[in-house]
Amino acid sequence: MSKRLRWRVLLILLVVAGLVAGYVMTGYSHAKKEWVGAGSPPLSEALKKGIKLGLDLRGGIHLVLQVNTADAVKAERDDAVEQLQNQAREQGVVLGAVEYPSEASFTVAVTPQTDEKKLDELVKRWLPDWNVGSAGGKWSFALKDPRRRETEENAVAQAVETIRNRVDEFGVAEPLIAREGTDRILVQLPGIDDPKRVKDLIKSTAFLELKLVEQGPSTDKAALLAPYGGQVPPQLELVEEKAQPGQRQPGWYLVKKAAVITGRDLKNARPSRGQFGASSVTFFLTAAGAEKFSAATGANVGKFLAIILDHRVQSAPRIHERISDTGQITGNFTPEEANDLALVLRAGALPAGLTYLEERTVGPSLGLDSIRKGITASIAGALLVFGAVVVYYRRAGWNAVLALLLNAVLLLGAMSLFNATLTLPGIAGFILTIGMAVDSNVLIFERIREELRGGRAPKTAIENGFSKAFATIIDTHITVIISAIFLFQFGTGPVKGFAVTLIIGLLISVFTAVFVSHTVFELEYGRRQHIDALSI
Amino acid sequence: MELFRQTHIDFLRWKWWAIGASWAMILVGLIAIFVQKGLKFGIDFAGGTQIALRFVQRPDIDHFRKILDTGHFGDTGIQRYEAVEKNEVLIRVQQQRKEGRDITAEVLNLLRQGLGSAADASKLDLNTQGRDSLAARLVAADPDQVAGKSGQNPTDYYGRIAEQVIARRSQMGLFRSSADVNSVPGLTPAVKGWIQANAAAGPFVLLSAGSVGPQVGADLRQKALWAIATSTFGMLLYIWWRFRSLPFGVGAIVATVHDTLITVGLLALFGREFNLVVVAALLTLIGYSVNDTVVVYDRIRENLRTPKKEPLEIVINRSINQTLSRTVLTSGATMLVVVALFFLGGEVLNTFALTLIIGIVVGTYSSIYVASPIVVIWKQVSGRRRLVPVPAVKPTAPAPAPSPQKKKTGRR
Repeated sequence: MSKRLRWRVLLILLVVAGLVAGYVMTGYSHAKKEWVGAGSPPLSEALKKGIKLGLDLRGGIHLVLQVNTADAVKAERDDAVEQLQNQAREQGVVLGAVEYPSEASFTVAVTPQTDEKKLDELVKRWLPDWNVGSAGGKWSFALKDPRRRETEENAVAQAVETIRNRVDEFGVAEPLIAREGTDRILVQLPGIDDPKRVKDLIKSTAFLELKLVEQGPSTDKAALLAPYGGQVPPQLELVEEKAQPGQRQPGWYLVKKAAVITGRDLKNARPSRGQFGASSVTFFLTAAGAEKFSAATGANVGKFLAIILDHRVQSAPRIHERISDTGQITGNFTPEEANDLALVLRAGALPAGLTYLEERTVGPSLGLDSIRKGITASIAGALLVFGAVVVYYRRAGWNAVLALLLNAVLLLGAMSLFNATLTLPGIAGFILTIGMAVDSNVLIFERIREELRGGRAPKTAIENGFSKAFATIIDTHITVIISAIFLFQFGTGPVKGFAVTLIIGLLISVFTAVFVSHTVFELEYGRRQHIDALSI
Repeated sequence: MELFRQTHIDFLRWKWWAIGASWAMILVGLIAIFVQKGLKFGIDFAGGTQIALRFVQRPDIDHFRKILDTGHFGDTGIQRYEAVEKNEVLIRVQQQRKEGRDITAEVLNLLRQGLGSAADASKLDLNTQGRDSLAARLVAADPDQVAGKSGQNPTDYYGRIAEQVIARRSQMGLFRSSADVNSVPGLTPAVKGWIQANAAAGPFVLLSAGSVGPQVGADLRQKALWAIATSTFGMLLYIWWRFRSLPFGVGAIVATVHDTLITVGLLALFGREFNLVVVAALLTLIGYSVNDTVVVYDRIRENLRTPKKEPLEIVINRSINQTLSRTVLTSGATMLVVVALFFLGGEVLNTFALTLIIGIVVGTYSSIYVASPIVVIWKQVSGRRRLVPVPAVKPTAPAPAPSPQKKKTGRR
């Protein structure tokens, strides 16, 4: 064996050993996480877990949500109005009616009593993020663009964080929660097959408020409002009861607008058993929350306290005594519902509403079916190709088979090392890779045959065949790799998966078809001084 | 073994016929698309909801339709899926304009109520409940009384049990009755008893469900098109640069577009639906087709490098002949894989494989009859033959590579 040849063989062995070892090691680290038995998982388990499977193959839920950033902007606006009104009251500035032309603007009417100079100072001091104009007896306020963008940005970032907290609490293995574009969030939960529950869990805004009840409940709104002259007084508000199963018409409560405490005052929450063993949720307050809560309950013993979740009254228990730092939410919960409510209360509220744009669920049995059939079909296809190549090229055909097998093994190893996920489109990329690897071998062999027909000696024919086919192989591979790079850059999820597999696969295909095949030919024929015929 | 030995077929002689045949195929596809009033987009691109279910009993489609009509979902399609004996059904609901309706949950509820027995209605449905719901119920009931025992966390303990039940369900396809839990390995009699008393096997198991908003569908469609367009443009630039000739680049791209158009048209003719799987197949086919074309071009370039002055048509013909056995062999080998996928790969891979079967045939044809003739026609129309500075009228006979029809190559 020449020195050069020895180096080549060494390099090939190193690459193969490295990728195979990488695959097995990744497989072990994945298998260990899920292994429930004693000791470390067996090799067969590690081999199965070497490659991460996409949701389409292993089952799970894929969701794309849109954050309604307008909600967050609206909240910013309402804060500003409140701020302005509070400051105006303190400074003795009289303000007229407030109107809301859009989520990012409001107008305040001025009356003849309004001290506009003082108002101007107020606005400059307290509302620096707002563009102010005045015309026709109204001051108009519009949120400045950079501030608006920042608000939207924060809303999306906070929504991602909140969803991540909730999913983590739910205990999903390897969840993916990522931002997509400006206001979209991608959530992938492998292995989960209960779409409704997860969707409700993620989407629930979980906005908890505890408010003192003034009147109610009653199914008749007019009767509730009769003592107030048919109008909702400014410091009160009407809240509907959560519909219970079997209940025709939910009732209404008239409650104080200012909340005693909100979800922000919570320290912890957990599912519990209420009276008669019904499921309920027990919450614990922060120090500041407990102070507020104890003062309010102490002053209102005998009254009812409405527990309002997402603007619906869950229940309204009577306050028997001063309560300081803990409370219980009851309602007709199933154990799962109580569990999930406690979970979202712990994880925090969403800053803005969410809309589902896309949801896909793949049941575990379909995934299993797809894999089984995909594997059967691939093995059958591979055997057919191997058979054809060996029949057609005889001894050289075995070289091709070796190159193809190596290609598949190395591709699996590389994908495992890069932590790439194998999806159905990924399998498509795999098939194209194998197709092109077969093609590379065919190109080389046909060239060698042509050289032999042209009367070249076998050794020269091999050399010429490889060097002439080389340019073509490089050209075809680069062309397809370039297209795959564009697909990766501009494509969405599944198209990207295709592109990644293809790029890795083609790089390996060049290596196996040109480098490995050539080396194997040299090993076979290089030592002999004279070759009479090639088996090709 | 050898299939072809130094063929001398005058491929370019038939180029105008080929162009006619190509247009005819494209037209057939376009007519099929036109008759169907556009392509049949799957929910990926059109928006809507699609649910695949496997039933315990032979599904009665008409009965299902009556049940679903009570939900007022608008345009609803119900069809069998996979082999008949698998009892699988695909339900499609056109997108609802109304916001916030969970169509998937509504359809599943209606079917469960309409098909399940009343006695089971209040029980936990083993076929549709996920691992977590089952685990939560088991933790609440605690049949093995692990709560309070040291060293046992009930959530983990019952989580593992629930996991095994669901794994067994996947293995069996679905549970036929709650007595099937007896076949789950490693359960205590107490747990088995509790499950049989409190859970029932519902009428179906959920294979997959997808729901895509109309805006997202349009988005995905646009992004897929944009990705294909930019990658095609990238290939054009590379081939143009590599072969130092625009006609080569254009020829390769026209061949690719040609293959895609014909394949899309034929898929429409076969009534196949357009979804992301088809897009993956089309991407594969584009890669395959360009690969084929570049192999032929490479040979043309190599043959043009020789000092012999020959007309372009003869050079191209010879190049196609020289690469013919490789073309047929590669196509044949790839076809073997794809045919295996078509017959053995299951429902999901079936459309994928069909797309590739069409694509390989068309792609092989186009690298011979579309990509190269375009180079010839381009040169003829532009009148300049910078590649081969030779008088156009009188082709000089090439000496060592005799072509039987060489006198006719200048036909037209």
